[in-house]
Amino acid sequence: MFACIHIPDFPVAAIVRAESLLREHAVAVLDGKPPQARVFALNDKGRQLGMEIGMTKLQASIFAAAKPERVPATKMVTKKKSAQIEFAARRTKTQPPPANAIFRQRSPAQEDSAHAALLDVAHAFTPRVEDTHPDRLLLDLGGLERLYGSAPAMARQLASRVSSVGLDCNIGMAANPEAAMHAACGFSGITVIPAGEEARRLGILPITVLLDSFDLAHGSEVETTASVRECNKLREQILDTLERWGVRDFRTLALLPEHALAARLGEAGTRLQRLSRGVGMRTLALCEPQMHFEEAMELESAVETLEPLSFLLNRLLEQLCARLEARALAVQTLTLRLQLELRVADEQTTTLEELHESANETTARNLHTRTLHLPVAMRAPKVFLKLLQLDLAAHPPGAPVCKLWLAAEPARPRSAQRGLFLPIAPEAEKLEITLARINGVVGERRAGIAKVLDTYRPDAFHMERFVSRQEDRTPGGDLTLSDTSSAPPVALRIFRPARRIRVQLTEGRPCRLATLDRHADHNELQGKILWSAGPWRSSGDWWAEQSDAESTAEQAQAWGREEWDIVLATDNGNDVALYRIYHDTGTGHWFADASYD
Amino acid sequence: MPSPAALRAHVESALGERLASTLLLREKAAPLTVSTGVAGLDALTGGLPRGALSEITGPASSGRTGVMLAALAGATHREEACALVDASDNFDPASAAAAGVDLDHLLWIRCGESDRASLRSTQRRTALGRLEQVLKITDLLLQGGGFGMVVLDLGDIPPESVRRVPLTSWFRFRRTVEPTATVLLIVEREPCAKTCASLVVRLQRTAVCARDAASPSEAEFHGWRVLSWTEPAIPPANAVSHAALLHGMQLRAEVVRSWTQRKPVQSVGADFELRAGW
Repeated sequence: MFACIHIPDFPVAAIVRAESLLREHAVAVLDGKPPQARVFALNDKGRQLGMEIGMTKLQASIFAAAKPERVPATKMVTKKKSAQIEFAARRTKTQPPPANAIFRQRSPAQEDSAHAALLDVAHAFTPRVEDTHPDRLLLDLGGLERLYGSAPAMARQLASRVSSVGLDCNIGMAANPEAAMHAACGFSGITVIPAGEEARRLGILPITVLLDSFDLAHGSEVETTASVRECNKLREQILDTLERWGVRDFRTLALLPEHALAARLGEAGTRLQRLSRGVGMRTLALCEPQMHFEEAMELESAVETLEPLSFLLNRLLEQLCARLEARALAVQTLTLRLQLELRVADEQTTTLEELHESANETTARNLHTRTLHLPVAMRAPKVFLKLLQLDLAAHPPGAPVCKLWLAAEPARPRSAQRGLFLPIAPEAEKLEITLARINGVVGERRAGIAKVLDTYRPDAFHMERFVSRQEDRTPGGDLTLSDTSSAPPVALRIFRPARRIRVQLTEGRPCRLATLDRHADHNELQGKILWSAGPWRSSGDWWAEQSDAESTAEQAQAWGREEWDIVLATDNGNDVALYRIYHDTGTGHWFADASYD
Repeated sequence: MPSPAALRAHVESALGERLASTLLLREKAAPLTVSTGVAGLDALTGGLPRGALSEITGPASSGRTGVMLAALAGATHREEACALVDASDNFDPASAAAAGVDLDHLLWIRCGESDRASLRSTQRRTALGRLEQVLKITDLLLQGGGFGMVVLDLGDIPPESVRRVPLTSWFRFRRTVEPTATVLLIVEREPCAKTCASLVVRLQRTAVCARDAASPSEAEFHGWRVLSWTEPAIPPANAVSHAALLHGMQLRAEVVRSWTQRKPVQSVGADFELRAGW
């Protein structure tokens, strides 16, 4: 048994998939640059309005209905006017106003995304898939009856899965791939043709369905533009000939004498007749499943604020997650690319090379890329949306957005066996949002795990991302008394940055200090030193080159210091505290860098 | 006239669908506690209550940080996720590692700086700006849930600034943490959460053990009892400080308030020691 998934009006479906509100409207997809833009595809509502493929936008817009007038409810109206409104309302009840036609420019990126989504659904159903055309796929369902049930049940499941990625499809099922394809392209909804009934069921289909798929069946052999043109010409000739003969459906063509048809139309005629009878078997050209997940959206008008952008991101994320769900995968890395509105180049370019370089630079400048590395694989569109919102709020694009791509690096979803006695740990999804919000409050790289560096340099550490290690945990009880310590260690409280002080020395030992920082919080660093111990001389990283002022704390920088531990009786009262102070041998200044607590 | 038992049965059957226990006295179960990591404190307080707010107070160099690290060491030893909201960016990872804290299970949030343009530069440096950050972050952590222990380190924030935090904030934290198993611990100079705190412990130094007690008269003047220590002061490689004046501190802990115990607390105290890691 073979199945064919066909998406009618595919360019329209690809756009409606991203904008679900368009389902209620007549949509015309235009191709080409204005003013030569012509209608490339239409949905059913558009055809009902009278629009046709090949019309210019001006011609098509004539068929677009005007918006009905709206009367505010609070407005006071006269009796005569109210009668008019009532009449208009009655007329609209009997004759519903035609939906307004909406024009959209063709989007190859969105069509690619829709086709990839279709492939994902098909590959999740069966590995034997032929990528016949952007709007149709052929599936070999042989041997899947035990898994999915009867043929109608399989067709229903397939249609349901395709609709989960935002596409409406026709499903055709038959004993051979060509008959399944003709059934999907010719009939709407689900069509299951039992073996042996192909000729009878397909007989009523118009001959154009056959010729469309006939051309497309040979599409793989056609590579050049000239060949395509020649093929289309041949198709038109055959269609004209069959029209002149009065052959308008499959049944009439199937009844023609075989030899006479071959004598007049050649090999193509014989093949067409076999297809119209629903016979013939061919091997599917199977395609490999792709591991590239990307969704794109082109905007008619640029978006300037983050709020409307969030709605678009939500749509893209839902599509992306639906595709990943179809393949039973999760997201490890999420990359968002925003194309910003073009800026005018500052300088005029002269040569062609300069122009090319300038174009590349402009493209790079007009792309705003943000990447989210998730600590654990997850598939929660709401979480991703919140993370992207927080990230974009911290790193705004800086210009209106006219196109956006969202790509996901797939990973196997995490499988966790939770237990009743496992220690408490935050949920990974919630934790990511919490951390993103905290970063928004305190800044980047100020929340995470501290890793102590293997060096003698004081206060040497770097920050790493905090990850909830739910999978690594083992059941453990509360701390027993044997785990408690009778004498926990004394701890240091580091002053960041170290506080500048003035130290008075007596016989080489500090005897009094005063803070040079006028900050109100640091007044306690002033008074008489009761005891002192030191100096403890240390230095390091003198072998490294003298770093410039821009070097970060984690980079090696020569340091030297003479440390003293002191007990300070503050001038504020009878309070006594223990501090660590040091004399910087490089600058000659004194600093207080920690207190004992 | 129906009997009280019959009347009670009638009322309970009428309201039984709407109320779980109509006339039954609901006894509040004793809260679960976890160890503070210090045997002396555990004996005194019974441990830190889960689902409640606890305070450890004391002046500078009174051992608050040592007790806080001991509690964190215990929680991370149980493989619980812990969070430290560091108001003044004073946390020393080396000290924590020496105290036995598993840093992989500790989320350290360093308040005090912000890249946000909305936060004014004057506000950024002040204690008030840092306190706002602390309150926001604590709200986020408690609402996110899943942490075994959340510690608010306000040890270097002046008490007059901490007192400005409205009581509603502490009440909100208490209500948020109540149905969870999280220990909310505040380290500060003076108690600030008032009735919202289930346990308040005050720490005081009673003595230090110093290597060089050169002038004991001055020490006695400041209320210090100096214990001599004559061991050689060569710190090991993993020492958190090099000079090593301090060998240890003797502390006295006093329970100011405890709602976890049946009887009202009347300033009971206990002595224990902190020892330097060198």
